Formats: sequence, C-alpha cells, structure tokens
Amino acid sequence: MKKYLLAAGALCVLGTNAALAHITLETQEAPVGSTYKAVLRVPHGCEGKATSAVRVQIPEGVISVKPMPKPGWTLQTKKGKYQKSYQLYGETLTTGVKEVDWSGGNLPDEFYDEFVFRASLAADLPAGQMLYFPVVQECGDATDRWIEIPAAGQDEDALETPAPVIKLLPKK
Amino acid sequence: MNAAQLSTTIRMHTRPLAWLVAALMAMAVLAMPGRASAHAALVATDPADGAVLAQSPAQFSLTFSEPVSPLVLTLVRPDGSQLALTSFRLNDQTVEIDNPEVLKSGTHVLSWRVVSVDGHPVGGSALFSIGAPSAAPVAGEAVDWTLRAVIWAAKLLLYAGLFLGVGGAVALAWLAKDRRCGQSFVAAALLFGLVAAPVSLGLQGLDGLGAPLARFAAPAVWKTALETSFVWTALVGLIALGLALLSLAGPSGLRKLAASAALLGVGGALAASGHASAAEPQWLTRPLVFLHGTAIAFWAGALAPLGLALRYQPEEAKAFLRRFSRTILPVVAILAASGIVLAIIQVQEPAALINTSYGRLLLLKLGLLLFLFTLAAINRWTLTAPAEAGDTEVQRRLVRSIGIEMLIALAIFGVAAGWRFTPPPRALAIAAAQPVSIHIHTLKAMADLSITPGHAGEVEASMVIMTGDFGPLDAKAVTLVLSKPDSGIEPIKRPATKPGDGTWRVDNLVIPIPGRWNARLDILVSDFEMVNIEAPIDIRADVLIFR
Repeated sequence: MKKYLLAAGALCVLGTNAALAHITLETQEAPVGSTYKAVLRVPHGCEGKATSAVRVQIPEGVISVKPMPKPGWTLQTKKGKYQKSYQLYGETLTTGVKEVDWSGGNLPDEFYDEFVFRASLAADLPAGQMLYFPVVQECGDATDRWIEIPAAGQDEDALETPAPVIKLLPKK
Repeated sequence: MNAAQLSTTIRMHTRPLAWLVAALMAMAVLAMPGRASAHAALVATDPADGAVLAQSPAQFSLTFSEPVSPLVLTLVRPDGSQLALTSFRLNDQTVEIDNPEVLKSGTHVLSWRVVSVDGHPVGGSALFSIGAPSAAPVAGEAVDWTLRAVIWAAKLLLYAGLFLGVGGAVALAWLAKDRRCGQSFVAAALLFGLVAAPVSLGLQGLDGLGAPLARFAAPAVWKTALETSFVWTALVGLIALGLALLSLAGPSGLRKLAASAALLGVGGALAASGHASAAEPQWLTRPLVFLHGTAIAFWAGALAPLGLALRYQPEEAKAFLRRFSRTILPVVAILAASGIVLAIIQVQEPAALINTSYGRLLLLKLGLLLFLFTLAAINRWTLTAPAEAGDTEVQRRLVRSIGIEMLIALAIFGVAAGWRFTPPPRALAIAAAQPVSIHIHTLKAMADLSITPGHAGEVEASMVIMTGDFGPLDAKAVTLVLSKPDSGIEPIKRPATKPGDGTWRVDNLVIPIPGRWNARLDILVSDFEMVNIEAPIDIRADVLIFR
C-alpha cells in the first residue's frame, strides 16, 4: 500500500512541469554570412517566479554582437577572445562579446517579454547545422538553465530545457 | 600388527597427507600477494549495450581494458530462457563469441563473467535487441543443479569424515575397550573426508566464480577458493582427519593425544568458515560453532563403533557403553545449548523460520533432532542398564536403535549441508542493506553512483564526479534523474548536495518500485554547459530472492 502511495505521490509531484513553453529565438533559421537579429522570447518565469535576469552565451562564429538596451534592465556584456579571427567589412575581428546579460529587471511570470541583440553570422559557419544560444534565466534565487543541447541522434523534443537554436542556411 | 607393519601404515597414511597439507599451505601463501592490481574493465561490446539490430548477429564481442579469460558467457533470450555460449576465441583484449543460433526478435541480454589477469572475477551484461526492443527478459538466476548436487555431496562427505571419522577415532581411543570393532568403518569415513575436503575447497572456488563444474581444474577457480575463508576449514579439517588417522594406526602412546587434537580440529574447522561463524558477535559465534561441532563429533562418532562393538563383541562393549552413557549427557547439553543460541542469532525472528528456506531447513533439522533425542533418551534410560547387565535381547534392540540413530544423524548432516545454499535471515537482512553501484564513463565526464540500500524504498544516493580522463571535475551543480519509462512513473529529479567530502549526495530519496531504472546525472560544468551521463541501474525488490 505504502508503495502505491509513494508512486502516486511521485506522479503528482513530478508530472507538472513538462509541456510548458521554452525560451526560444523568434527567427529560427538564418543564412551564414548575414546579419541576424536575435529575439529571445521569454514566455514565463522560473516555476512561477518573476524573471530578474536573462543571460545568453554567444556561440563561436557569432560576431560583432550589439545587444538592445531595455528600460528597467541593466545591460552588460562580457567580452573575450574568439577561437579564431574573422573578417568583417575588411576588418579583422579577434575579440568580441561572448555573453550578454540583462539583469536587475522584473518580468512577472504572467507577462511576456523579448530580449534583442543583433549580430553577424560568420560566413564560414557550417550551413545546414544547428547553432545553439544557451540561456540562463534567473528569477531571484531560482534559476532555469536553457542550455541543453541534444546529443547526436537525440530528438530535441526529448529535452526538458533545450537551448534556443537556429538552423544555419547556405550563404545567399 | 607388529612395529614394522605399524610404521608402514603410519607412513602410508601420513605421507600423502603431509604432502597435501604442505601443498595447500604453499598455495595459500602464493595466493596472498598481488592484491592491488587493477581489475579488467569492459571497454566495448558488439552489439553495443542498448543497440537495436536489424538481424541476428553471427558473433558477439567483448573488449576489455586488459586480456581476460572468460568463465561464463550466457545469452538470455527474450523469453528468459538461457543459452550457454561455449564457442569463443581470445583475440588480444577482445573475446569473440560465436552465436550458435539465429536470434528471434526482441531484447536479449549478453551476460558475461571473466577473470582478469590479477585473478579477480568481473561480471556484467549488455542488452541488445533484434528488430525492436521488447521488455527486458528476466534472467532468472540460473541454478547449476549439477554443481549444487556435487557441492552438497562433498559437504556431506566432509561432515561424515569429520563427525563419524574423527569422532569415531575419539570414541575408539577414549571409550572403547577393544578397538578393532568399528576401526575400518572409522578409517573409511576419514578417507572420505580426506577426499572431500580439497574437493569441497575447489567447489567453493567454482561457486564463487559462478563457473560450471567443467572448470574445476582451472587455476582461477583454485585461486578464488584460496581467497575464501573455507580454505581454513579445509586445511584444519585435513589436519584433524590426518590426526584421527594417526590415532587409529599410530603408536598407542599417541592415540589419545592425536584423537583429542583431531576432535579440537573438527571444532576449529567448522568455526573457521560458514554462515554461523561469520555472524556477529564473533566472540560468541565462533566458540559456539566450535563447541557445537566438537559435541556432534563426539556423539555421532561414537555411535558406529558402539553399535558394531555391541553387535560383535557384546562382552567388551559393556565397558564402552558404560563410559559412553556416562559422558554423553553433558555433551548433548553443550550441543543443544550452542545450537539454540546459534539458531537464535541466525534466524533473528520466528517468522523467518517459515518464510525463508534457511528457516525451513532449520525446522526440518529440529524435527529430525527431536526424533534423534527421543531415540537417544530411550537408549540411555531404558536400554542401557539391561544391556550393560548382559541382556542379549536388549543389546540387539540397542544395536538396531543405534543404527537408526546413525541414519538420522546422517540425514541431519545432509540438512546441514543444505544450509550451504541458504543464507540465514541475518545475512539476508545484511545483504538487503547493501548498496547498488554503477560506474558511468563517457568522454566528457564519468561518475560512480551508489544507491544505499540498493532496493526499492527510502534510499540515499552518493555520487563521485570526475572528468572523462579521471581528472577532478568541479561541477557547479549535479542533478540526479531516475526514470523508469516502462513503469509509467515520471522521472524522479533531485538536485544533489555537496557535503564537502568530494561527493555529491541525494538524501531522503524514495524509489517506488524495483527493477531496471535509468540513472542520469546532469552535471553543470559551467554556467552555460551541462553534461548528461546516464546508465541503467538495477534496483532490487525489498525482499531478496537468493540463489
């Protein structure tokens, strides 16, 4: 009897958070060698709590990142070295933004908001492949990490907290 | 028997024995060093664990981290039936196994047990499916009945040697007036025991490795055997048997001394290994087993010489009978008292008498004992006095009764030998508390996960996380996710805490049902990077079903 109660209890507690919406990018494909406007869509807080910070990691090959400021949010970027140098409009880029943080805000769970940055997708990114933008969503002391990347052959729908992703298209 | 014959007999009996003892000791010494070397680890299997194949493979292969020698290779079919895989080749670190049949569709288990270079047995299994996965077959613990029967018979013979042989030698040395009656019976029992002791040791090795009888001579088997506590039982038993033989054939001055030492050896041999000796508290159980064994040998051993003496030498047997009946009461008291205390320690609670096989064997033994004690009491209090007085009719009844006592004693030895296969309730309780552990190894990270106790219910999980190349991995967070997709239970996801000793822990975890669960560790390596590693882990049922 105890076992059944335990099993039922496990079902009640764990059966809730599965099919809720994820943090995603609005435009889900873009050609390499183009300018990309990334719109991060934040549909809810962390398990009911208001979102206080959104941080996105910029993957290698995404260069010349310019985030859009947001009223009520402190915008910061972390810069670092690229793994290699990139050519953009005749300039050689070796360093740039690696992480964008919007923090100190207050986005209640029942409201929706978007976080925007603009970037260039390097021309030598592999077309046809997926490019992941891992996001950490902070809600006071709670954290949701949208950083899961499917393993080879794994269905992306199977992930609980997938990283926002775009598909790289061939250069136009 | 003149002096020359006597010394020949001694030499005949003692020389092989001395060699045997020396050889056993040498083996024991050789087995001591070399403990710290690494065990072989499975590197890859073909088909890979969890693979789904379109058609039945022609062969399987197992690749290890070092060369191994296979002991048991079994394929469990989807319906749970087993197929022994006997045709294999060693190719460096890979064992290539021929598949003797076309596999039907469904999930199969390739179960393996090998011995690594250091002599340690390692086992495991890989699941793969033909066509589509089916429910994983329940690999009912295959019981090797032949091996069991042989183990049981060897144990029975060893008991016969120790109790009837050594005990008989004691009775002949101390109680009998005319020592010829029963001497050949006792000598035969001793010889059986001398054969059974080393054979039992080898069988112990086979059983420890789960290897079939055909591998009796394999060095790994004997190496394993020499690492068990049974080696001391065999060794002390052999010495006791040899001393008893010496007391039969040796010079009269040595007779009583050798027989007494042999009797102590019986107690010592039994106290050296076995369920009862292994029980806590050791300071109590070992001496009790010693007393119990010594008392059995004294009582049971006297029966055959006494019966034979009464049958063939009634006049001389009177003194024998008188001495026996005078000493037997305290001996039986010791036997019963030590037996009762040991039974209480082993069984722990009365219900276990009924619902464990150990308990049922104990009940059977108690039933036989009751019968034996009744017979013995009749012999002692109604037949002994007239028999000593020379009543031939009563003497004949007494001989018959002693014959029956012997048979019951043998039956009791048989039951006691059956305990070899039934862990006592005490041990079952300890085993139920044992953790289950798995090692998950991927390129990015690896982990040792232990769930304690390893059965369904309230458990604790402990994890040690390392990088894929055994380096330290300072994870920011670790989450344990246990899932059992076939059960309909949603995954159990629990963040682990870091108590500061280098491990990660999940306390107060409840695993609702036993079976094969999937354990996944979500390791947060950095803010934006998570590594997931997973492996199946078998959670036992609350109540252990033992082989």
